[in-house]
Amino acid sequence: MASAEAVGNPGMTPAAGTAEEASGAIGIAHQIPRNTLALLMMAQVAVIAPYLQQLSVWIIAVGLFCGLWRTNVYLGRWDYPKRWLKAVLVVACLGGVAISGVGAFSLEAMASLLVSMFALKLIEMKSRRDAYVVIFLGYFAIAIQFLFEQQLLLAIYQLVAFTLVTAAMVSLNQLQATARSWPSLKLASLLVLQAVPLTLVMFMLFPRIAPLWTVPLPGSSVTGLSDVVKPGDIANLTQSDELAFRVVVDGQMPPPSHRYWRGLVFSDFEDGGWKARERRRARDYPMPRSTDLRYEVLLEPTMQTWLYALENSTSEHSNVYLTLDGRLESKDPIMSVFRYRAVQHQADRRGGQLSESERIRETSIDPDANPRLQALGKALLAEHGSPMAMTRAILMQIREQPFSYTLSPPLYPGRDSFDGFWFDGRAGFCEHYASAFVYMMRSAGIPARLVGGYLGGEVNQVSGYLMVRQYDAHAWAEFYDPQLGWFRVDPTAAVAPERVEQGLTAALSSSDLASLPLLSSARIGDWDLAGDVLRWMDSIEHRWNLWVVGYDSNVQYRFLSDLLGEVTAARIGVAVLIGGGIGLGLVAVVIFWGRRPANRHPVERAFRRFSNALAGYGYAKEPEESPAAFVRRVAGQVGLTEAQVGPIIAELDTLLYNPGVASGGRELRALRSQLRRLQFRLAFGAAR
Amino acid sequence: MADLPLTGNLGSARASSREIFAGKRFSRWLDRRIPPKNRITLTQKNVFIFPTKTGFAFGVLIGLLILGAINYQASLVYGVAFLLGSLFLVTILYTFRNLAGLTLELSGTRPGFVDEDVEISIRITRPKGRAREGIQLGWPEGIMQWAELSELASDVVRLYVRAPARGYFNPGRLLVETYFPLGLLRAWTWVDLDVRALVYPKPIFGEYPRSVSGHRDEGQLIDPLGSDDFNDIKAYRPGDPIRNIIWRSYARSDELMVKEYASYVEPRLWLSLETVEGKLEEKVSRLTGLALKATREEREFGLDLGTTRISPSRGESHLEQVLKELALHGLR
Repeated sequence: MASAEAVGNPGMTPAAGTAEEASGAIGIAHQIPRNTLALLMMAQVAVIAPYLQQLSVWIIAVGLFCGLWRTNVYLGRWDYPKRWLKAVLVVACLGGVAISGVGAFSLEAMASLLVSMFALKLIEMKSRRDAYVVIFLGYFAIAIQFLFEQQLLLAIYQLVAFTLVTAAMVSLNQLQATARSWPSLKLASLLVLQAVPLTLVMFMLFPRIAPLWTVPLPGSSVTGLSDVVKPGDIANLTQSDELAFRVVVDGQMPPPSHRYWRGLVFSDFEDGGWKARERRRARDYPMPRSTDLRYEVLLEPTMQTWLYALENSTSEHSNVYLTLDGRLESKDPIMSVFRYRAVQHQADRRGGQLSESERIRETSIDPDANPRLQALGKALLAEHGSPMAMTRAILMQIREQPFSYTLSPPLYPGRDSFDGFWFDGRAGFCEHYASAFVYMMRSAGIPARLVGGYLGGEVNQVSGYLMVRQYDAHAWAEFYDPQLGWFRVDPTAAVAPERVEQGLTAALSSSDLASLPLLSSARIGDWDLAGDVLRWMDSIEHRWNLWVVGYDSNVQYRFLSDLLGEVTAARIGVAVLIGGGIGLGLVAVVIFWGRRPANRHPVERAFRRFSNALAGYGYAKEPEESPAAFVRRVAGQVGLTEAQVGPIIAELDTLLYNPGVASGGRELRALRSQLRRLQFRLAFGAAR
Repeated sequence: MADLPLTGNLGSARASSREIFAGKRFSRWLDRRIPPKNRITLTQKNVFIFPTKTGFAFGVLIGLLILGAINYQASLVYGVAFLLGSLFLVTILYTFRNLAGLTLELSGTRPGFVDEDVEISIRITRPKGRAREGIQLGWPEGIMQWAELSELASDVVRLYVRAPARGYFNPGRLLVETYFPLGLLRAWTWVDLDVRALVYPKPIFGEYPRSVSGHRDEGQLIDPLGSDDFNDIKAYRPGDPIRNIIWRSYARSDELMVKEYASYVEPRLWLSLETVEGKLEEKVSRLTGLALKATREEREFGLDLGTTRISPSRGESHLEQVLKELALHGLR
């Protein structure tokens, strides 16, 4: 205990002290300087503000209430809250989190607790130790916010908040009397700025390892495909213009009609909807060839494990595997932008035999549901003979009969909803057409399944990558042919070919378009300037994702291989030493040599040499003494008369305050020799 | 450690530091490394640096964040953790830099009595360049004082230390420390400025020895122009104090008359060890009390310690001389 105390900070020693401590200069060590409070309150507002998106309003309200209370304490109007009130607030916050509907161990619950603790601590903060607790909670809250989102703008904002928190910490260690907020902020900014190079080195070199245990995930706030699809679900996704993922293609970007990004395969029909359950690994991996299409996906967080890829794709990412139904799947949920490279195999059609259990699974329907569609399916197969011919017949029906493609189809209630769509309503979105198609095929005993994913995407003209947004969500179908294997059929192409060729906006009626979110880039796509700005911003965001957010163990390995030639512990060690040395060295140069007095006046230099020499004889110049006063004093002590030193002093004074003295000039040389002689005489006097 | 005086806000911290450097080996090592001098400039040779408890807590915070970053695979959480870590590393340079280059110099001392505080002034000077902030100075027994050199290049800090015994007092090594800029690290040094502060004996107040108590009658005229007792009336001469003019008589006659006063003092007071009781320390204390009492009453007194004699006089400087002799009696 004793030795620990010895290295302790005054701020960390317990606040409860004797009466002696509570007053006078000693109090400095324990009280929180007022400007620290001001900075802390600012920092708190800055740190809590981004949480408005994730947390319930009441937590923000508690934060504001505490901030208001503390401000009034700060202004001397109110007293600190009573103990019972604090207890009530704590219990209320805990209870609020418990009943707010987020799971007890969800990320939201964690964040709620953190933010309310952060707010509550503010009103009971009295000692410096409390201030440090609030500061640490602030740093923690800044980091936790990044578990929800990691956009560039947020990161920049959080850097400002970080600097504010750091400024509060700086102000705790500056003298109270002179510690205004501005110097603390300035120093904190400087510290953060100087820490950035080192941060980059650590960021690049610190080994990225796999998660150690599973953690609670953010709740339902993420938009995206779900592994259960009912008619209408995908139409809802078109209301969002959020980014789903970006794709960088090596070489030629495939045309829009080839950009089917498979995400989920819905093989199971249950309760009038489709479910995707397959997670088993594929048994064999095809080998990539040089003609294959290579691309990299930067997937935005989905909190799910399925990935999006073109058909017949595989990935060599260590965390990605191929499933039995030919999808890419991640081992861990995608909680942050996930970068993976993939290869689309051009040659392999992935045929092969379907096992009996697979055949049963891929043909199962509810025998009682949609009887009319079942009958139609059986009749069509009987009429056309082969699955391929039957498909063509179905597509022909869609094309020729008055089917329409719409975002807001009528509701088809009940067990026979597919019947309702196909025979009565005839208006639907992609999943209606795909579902009806799969249902008919299955009724005829042909293995078929619904596939969910995205179709198309917009090429960013600035950087050439593809942006796929939520409104590009799409559903299509696959059926199994013994010769061809699984074959893709998109019934939507029959009713709305524009959807496939040009994207959603081209395929929709004007009333459907009006229901899209106002600022989606789909709508302002034709407004050039705004479109350009959006594309620029997305381009920057893409780089950010590419190099910062998506920097994981795989990217790190590739980066380090490029940088070091080969990734060995020794080479990484050397890189750490060099990088760290440069990072810290720069700071050291700035703070140790950065503010050295530049080019001292030559006379000042000469005089300094003289006064240093005299200091050796015991005549030290007082800091507040002028050069003239110093010479006069020493001369007096030694016993030299004014007549003896007067001329030298006059000369010294004239030259010292004359900015035009040249460093090699005659006057200066004369003064130097005079000073040397005086030094000798004074030294001689001192020895006597 | 319980019996050590826990004064000041850093009581326990400094008491234990004192324990550390009370260790003979450490003390000897320190003497070699930072030899006693009136003027010491701090360099990397004599400045130590180590994380504080806050610093270790900061480390735990960074560890937690890295754990979170690993489990959530969140790059920017790594980013925050690394930024905090870098901040810590950069702070090492700042904290060290805050002490390095400072020159500490004994500027002066003011004597005090035993069990009271002596004042020791330390001049602290920074080299040109960056300002120095949040520097704390103090002796383990005293109170830490904050110093800040931003606009000023030099400042004098007055420290107060409880004096344990009369004579010359060296409070030992002075602790100079700083937690600037973030409180995560503590840079400190123990310097011996070779302080010699004079400590007067603890006064014991008592009555004057009977043999020398004076009476007015035995008084001796020492100042005919004093102001204590009425003496005579005489004609005014230029230079006489105006307040002594008898205005009433001037109203009657046209002649200015003045009252003449004279001062008497009581017989000379000799303070000597024989006139007071007790052992040597008590005697010295009693004489100290008498000297203070006599000075307060503006009595003239002299000191006779056998080996040294100070002839009777009055005033502050006389008192200081007497107190110094008393403080050092028998110690030289």
